[in-house]
Amino acid sequence: MKQLKKLAQIMIVCCGLTALSACSHLNHNKNATGDDVDSAGVQASGTGEGDSFADNNANGSSDSSSLVSKKTYYFDFDQNVVHDADKPAIIANADYLVAHSNVHIVLAGHTDPRGSREYNVALGERRANAVLDLLKSHGVKDSQIRVVSYGQERLASPGRTEQDYQLDRRAVIEIGRG
Amino acid sequence: MQRTFLFFVSIIILFLPSLASALLSLELTRGVSGAIPINISFAISGQPPENVASVISNDLQNSGRFSVQNSQSVDAIVTGQVSQLSPDRYRVSFQLKDAYHDKNTAQHVLISQNYTVSAHALRPLAHHISDLIYKQLTGIRGVFSTRLAYILVQRSSGPARYILEVSDQDGYNPRPLLSSTDPIMSPAWSPDGRRIAYVSFENQRAAIYIEDVSTGSRHRVSAFPGINGAPAWSPDGRKLALVLSHTGSPNIFVMDLTSHKLTQVTQDWSINTEPAFMPNGRSLVFTSNRGGGPQIYEKNLSTGATTRITYNGNYNARPSVTSDGRHLVVLNRTSGLFNIAILDLDTGVFRVLTDSSHTDNESPSIAPNGSMVLYGTLNNGRSVLGMTSTDGTVQLQLPARSGEVQDPAWSPWVS
Repeated sequence: MKQLKKLAQIMIVCCGLTALSACSHLNHNKNATGDDVDSAGVQASGTGEGDSFADNNANGSSDSSSLVSKKTYYFDFDQNVVHDADKPAIIANADYLVAHSNVHIVLAGHTDPRGSREYNVALGERRANAVLDLLKSHGVKDSQIRVVSYGQERLASPGRTEQDYQLDRRAVIEIGRG
Repeated sequence: MQRTFLFFVSIIILFLPSLASALLSLELTRGVSGAIPINISFAISGQPPENVASVISNDLQNSGRFSVQNSQSVDAIVTGQVSQLSPDRYRVSFQLKDAYHDKNTAQHVLISQNYTVSAHALRPLAHHISDLIYKQLTGIRGVFSTRLAYILVQRSSGPARYILEVSDQDGYNPRPLLSSTDPIMSPAWSPDGRRIAYVSFENQRAAIYIEDVSTGSRHRVSAFPGINGAPAWSPDGRKLALVLSHTGSPNIFVMDLTSHKLTQVTQDWSINTEPAFMPNGRSLVFTSNRGGGPQIYEKNLSTGATTRITYNGNYNARPSVTSDGRHLVVLNRTSGLFNIAILDLDTGVFRVLTDSSHTDNESPSIAPNGSMVLYGTLNNGRSVLGMTSTDGTVQLQLPARSGEVQDPAWSPWVS
């Protein structure tokens, strides 16, 4: 029962900190019946937590493991500012890494394909570093993280529309490669 | 005699079959008005594996400055002979004649040469003959014997494959130098054309390698944490400028290739990247966003003085300098469009070389004679290479036969 209460507390704090849309985002996949619950409905925490007990033993609460599983963070054009909506997921990843100090990650930065290639490598690194700063401010050690920027060399999407560019501008956490 | 002025607007694919295979096919999309009409004919005996006349015709036609004609109403005439002496021995002779001077005058025959070569040297010899003709009639040294380096990306089956490849200037004889499932970037020819430096992301980390073009042997010269990027050779081939970010942000360093000692050139928190040496070796031009957006700056390596060079538009990057030190070629963005542009460093005149027929132009690289720029571009959503003359009049494109091609580098004069 204590664990249940603690999980409920974490969830409430989480939802309080992030945007409503992010909240529904977090719980999108967690409802057992597959319904899309809106942010208010997320507070119907009984159902979500029921799932979490069934699904997750090794990684603790389902909510933090769904947060941890979100490892790709998108950026606006010409920006390397982390979206507020991504912060809980990054923090959840930080918590995981602090708790598992033998786990190493590669933090990869990317850009869309417009402009000069080497300049884009530098822009991609700024995005990865923005995530790095947040991880480090939550206790993750330098030695657990390696940053690499691919610039525009590994596009997420081969197309050349604004929608494609949005998918390209990202930083990604990859676990387990030292 | 009437001079014929010809103006090419249509796309001409000049790929003639031969034993050598081309991965890139050169397509002239625009030539100059006032292209020199020329007639080329060779008599052949035996079974030479290369059509020397075709190679020369394609070279001259694709330069955009010549119009190869069947008729004899031309300004210049090339006649020649290829004779097979033995299974692997050929005698090649040629004469370049000025059509305006009478046969009996001394000015009629401009060049007369003959050579004895083996079969595999026939194609290089044809390119050399093109160089001689080009130099004689335009006054400019030809680049027909130079090479191109570029990155091929193949995505057709499974994960992307990246290949650093070198070919003849016309796209023939492609040879892979490195094949990888991780990206390869920024190939840079050493001044003697014997080595190529490049960035490889093998093992999911950036590192700079130098590879011998003929043997394929390579060694890693820089693998610091973070960015290892944008290698650029000094004119004497002894140093490599490069970009490292292990100090906290991307800065430019110069590495002595003998001692591997590093000297830091820029030292601030902005993005500093894409260095290129000026031909006198005394200063570096580079891209920096210290002024808000990317622009080109020049730093004198002895005095340390840094000046901003570009002011046109709010984005100028990837600088390279012609060998006479008088022009700077850049990637420029104006009104949201990326184009290759050339800046006259003496007069400040700024001219855009690419046109709206291609979008997302990038990665310009200047030919060693300063007359052409090779660059990356998109054609129907596919990455291809383009070439433009530095006066903007001649346009060519080089698509890969399969996959995409990007990030090119024009070799220096190959000794």
